Amino acid sequence: MIEQLHLLILGIVLFGVGLYALLGKRNIIKILMGIEIMTIAINLVFISLGANSTNELFTKFAQIFPLISIAIGAAVLAVGLAIAINNYRHANSVDTDEMATLKR
Amino acid sequence: MSLVVIYIFMILAILAALFALECRRLMFSIIGLIAMNLFLWVLLLSLNAVFLAWIQLIVYGGGFTALFVVVVALTEKQRDESFDWKRSVIALVIVGALMGVSIWAVTASGLSVTIGTSTIGDSLRALWNERLTDLILQAVVFFATTVGVGSLFIHHKKKKEEAKA
Repeated sequence: MIEQLHLLILGIVLFGVGLYALLGKRNIIKILMGIEIMTIAINLVFISLGANSTNELFTKFAQIFPLISIAIGAAVLAVGLAIAINNYRHANSVDTDEMATLKR
Repeated sequence: MSLVVIYIFMILAILAALFALECRRLMFSIIGLIAMNLFLWVLLLSLNAVFLAWIQLIVYGGGFTALFVVVVALTEKQRDESFDWKRSVIALVIVGALMGVSIWAVTASGLSVTIGTSTIGDSLRALWNERLTDLILQAVVFFATTVGVGSLFIHHKKKKEEAKA
């Protein structure tokens, strides 16, 4: 049986990797990948915490909330990638520093 | 499945995520992302979260990957040349500090209980009981996606007029 602690640490590390992309990268596609990795990390933490058998309600919802999170993640990714393509048509770049041109 | 194999898959998932973010060629980054999803799929299966494991593999490993491939192909910038040392170092420091505090908090709280997850039947029953919330959330998701996709077809009249002038 895997220890819950190790799964939580895996979730934290994956979340950190995603956060690093969010803070340190300028390419919008990489940033969106980071957001995706962060979502996956949260789902993993939910699954590992939901296994706590003392709270029956939480255990039941452990697999439901990640499902909703995946659906919302799909919407976020669709909007983000649409913005990326739109910005590329405008500024011919996928660099977030040049995204100020989006408002014009 | 042996515990050692599961821990190896955990490490591989982290390495695949790092590869996806650090690889210069965006197509290889996407392959890294697929690999990470596959490793996490195995992990979720071993945790008895079968339903979620398959949904995650289908949606993240399939749908999202297809979206990424289309966008990388459309933007025609298949190499990520932008690497900002200063920004990366600041990001690493912030992430390192946050991760350190989080891991310390988790280890200090003594969350080392052995586990086993809910069954597919539980999940389906809970989904059915909360179908109204599910419908509302789906409506929100559809709305956001429609706005996102619709924004692709906006005509930039001003820009066209400027180009004509």
